[in-house]
Amino acid sequence: MSTLHAAFATPDDARRALRILGADGVPASAIEVRSSVPLEHDLHAIGDKVTSKVHWMAVLGAFLGGFALFSLVKFTSEAYPLPTGGMPIVSLPPAGVITFEGVAIGAILCTVGTVLYECGLPGRKSLGPLDQHLAEDHILVSVECEEGAPEAWAANALETERV
Amino acid sequence: MAGIAQVAKEQPIIAPLIGFRPKLFLGSLLTGLLVGVLFYSWGYQIVNDIGVAGINRPVFWGFYITNFVFWIGISHAGTLISAILRVTQAEWRRPVTRCAEAITAFALMIGGLFPLIHLGRPWLAWYMVPIPTGRGIWPNFRSPLMWDIMAITTYLLGSLLYLFLPLVPDMAILRDRAAKENPRSIKTLFFTALALGWRGTPQQWHSLEAGIRAMAVIIIPVAVSVHTIVSWDFAMAVAPMWHSTIFGPYFVVGAIYSGIAVLMVAMYLLRRGLHLEEYLSDKVFNNLGLLFVAFALMWGYFTFAEHLTVWYGHEHAEINVFNERISGDFSVFFWTMIVVNTIIPLAILPFPWGRKPLATAVVGIGVMLGMWIERYLIVVGTLSFPRLDFNVGTYSASWVEMGILIGSIGLFGFLYFTFVQIAPIVSLWEVREGEHIQHRRTQPTSQSMPVQAVSAGEEARA
Amino acid sequence: MTRWGMAIDTDRCTGCGACVVACHAENNIQTVGEEEAARGRAMHWMRIERYYDGVFPDVKVRFQPVLCQHCERAPCEPVCPVYATYRTPDGLNAMVYSRCIGTRYCANNCPYTVRYFNWFDGQWPEPLERQLNPDVSVRPAGVMEKCTFCVQRIQDAEDVAGDEDREVRDGEIRTACSQSCSARAIVFGDLEDPESQVAQLARLDRATHLLEEVSAEPSVIYLRGGA
Repeated sequence: MSTLHAAFATPDDARRALRILGADGVPASAIEVRSSVPLEHDLHAIGDKVTSKVHWMAVLGAFLGGFALFSLVKFTSEAYPLPTGGMPIVSLPPAGVITFEGVAIGAILCTVGTVLYECGLPGRKSLGPLDQHLAEDHILVSVECEEGAPEAWAANALETERV
Repeated sequence: MAGIAQVAKEQPIIAPLIGFRPKLFLGSLLTGLLVGVLFYSWGYQIVNDIGVAGINRPVFWGFYITNFVFWIGISHAGTLISAILRVTQAEWRRPVTRCAEAITAFALMIGGLFPLIHLGRPWLAWYMVPIPTGRGIWPNFRSPLMWDIMAITTYLLGSLLYLFLPLVPDMAILRDRAAKENPRSIKTLFFTALALGWRGTPQQWHSLEAGIRAMAVIIIPVAVSVHTIVSWDFAMAVAPMWHSTIFGPYFVVGAIYSGIAVLMVAMYLLRRGLHLEEYLSDKVFNNLGLLFVAFALMWGYFTFAEHLTVWYGHEHAEINVFNERISGDFSVFFWTMIVVNTIIPLAILPFPWGRKPLATAVVGIGVMLGMWIERYLIVVGTLSFPRLDFNVGTYSASWVEMGILIGSIGLFGFLYFTFVQIAPIVSLWEVREGEHIQHRRTQPTSQSMPVQAVSAGEEARA
Repeated sequence: MTRWGMAIDTDRCTGCGACVVACHAENNIQTVGEEEAARGRAMHWMRIERYYDGVFPDVKVRFQPVLCQHCERAPCEPVCPVYATYRTPDGLNAMVYSRCIGTRYCANNCPYTVRYFNWFDGQWPEPLERQLNPDVSVRPAGVMEKCTFCVQRIQDAEDVAGDEDREVRDGEIRTACSQSCSARAIVFGDLEDPESQVAQLARLDRATHLLEEVSAEPSVIYLRGGA
């Protein structure tokens, strides 16, 4: 089992290569597309699903954060009931301000956490031999395949290398 | 098409990250000296008690709170550019997002120092943190200072993450470049660590962009709330000319205004110093200049509304403070502020020549000064004239306060000089993305070619 | 329920300043020195405000002794982030020195400007430290302070009364300022006790509050409008 890396100059070249790969029946799990720029959303292997739950997690985080800080204010103030000279132990408007910040920080932390999780960061997968092409704004397509598998899809590539 | 030509164009952005650059190093050194001034002055104050500052009774707050509000205000630059322009999908923001976000993060860090600096007993600042001890006492969530802590912590964390998330793909680009030259150098290891193993797959891009979009939407209300809460340090007090409902929106508008001013100056210096004319182009300055003039008008409107209502109401304690501001002890400050914050910007910015880089930077310097004066007037101008006339006071800043102010500006410069040398000050992938989108618009021929459109026989297999 | 209060008769006040000095002596207030006083840092928990009414030669001088008003709805209380100042059940606005971290927000929010801050440590060169009142703490630099209605004397009187199994009598507690006033212009007592001298004075036509418009509901009544 080896991996064939190919670097393409334009998204169209890469798209053609992916088309050929799809036509040849190569499973999406064996193909990896990499780019230094977010490209058109159809530029991934056929059968590959690209989704994100970030927005839902942001909303969930907002609820959790708001609830957490409101609880902090309410329950801790009641646990340490200090003499306030007639002011309520838990005053709702200030609690509201702090809850709002809790909503924000909960949403922020959950968003960032979800992004890191979905991206698999920090990632340990070793990087390939043609990576400098990414720095030059080219697109890398890597395919895990048997030795000697047809390489027609890499016809337009700038450079290929088998590892 | 992008590619080699695009990458060659990026050379000025990459250049500060490679090798030793004498001018940048000198900049770091000089600002580093000012940072020393900051910490020396602060250390002197801690050892010799807060009395070495110029504050007194009744002016219990002076330079430190002025600086606090000033720096927090400046931090709103990044949010405006980065978040609001992202949400509104304004393409021209792309070269500016990173340098603006950096301003936000650093200004917040410096602003957050000042509540510690101004405390009488800063080693007890942890009393404000709600951690259970055996003492049976707890912070007072009713206090606007507690709201400040929550708000600024949230905003700082959010801004740092908002700066860092889009930095990851750029770090990957730098890592790949550096690895080609020397896979073992310190630079390569540094970029590799910060890139967090970013691969650039479509899934990662999708998640990252979704996350950045979500952050942009979240951070806008956070920024608005932060400066509103800072303004409520004043508005919640019953002091004359502080207890005003307009302070919330007034301060937010003023903050964004001062933020744009600092951004204009920073962009001008970056453009000149690093030869970034290709990215920090005349068009970007022009568009930011239009925003600048819009905020000049808004700030002027709020200032006028605030002062008209105080003057018309003629309430005894307030009119005292008002008169001193307009024609008394503080009139020099007040009218200077009006000139540099409204007259000069509105005389220059509405014209196309007034939105050229140098012109906007000059106006920006004036606005920075004007906005600092505004905060000084609010803090010292009110506290000098308490309700019981017998207690009128004067304030003059001591060398300690001057040192800390100058040192804080030096700290900002130091952080910025350092940042420019370890990260690309223009967001490489965002600019590349913009070029791709533009290219697609001009050459749409292959745009809708579906990956699956092959012969019927192959379709059955796919 | 007790509510401590004070009545100050400005028609009697001669501006002699004995109350100021007595307060310093009783409460271990530091004398900041000439230079610091010139910088606006003098600390007089009780101060005499002097106002001139009219134009020369028809000038009248008004003396107004001002101290912490121990407001029912004190603006200084909600804004302290660490609960260093609070209202006691018996009507005092109390200050907890060891809790204060010195944000000075309370001082800004006091409409009467009656709060004083320790900018430096107090100096009591030998043998002056012997004059310190052992019932009252000495505050370090960085801490806010103000009139406490001589809470140490209130506690002392309540202790004695408790030992003797009775209530505190009116006139038994004398704050340092009321004790030393040569014109007997300052009266301290329980406003909730209708028989007390201070409550009777509060019912006079001449009774006013300072800065009524701020609605802080002070516990100090000023009698003015007579001669």
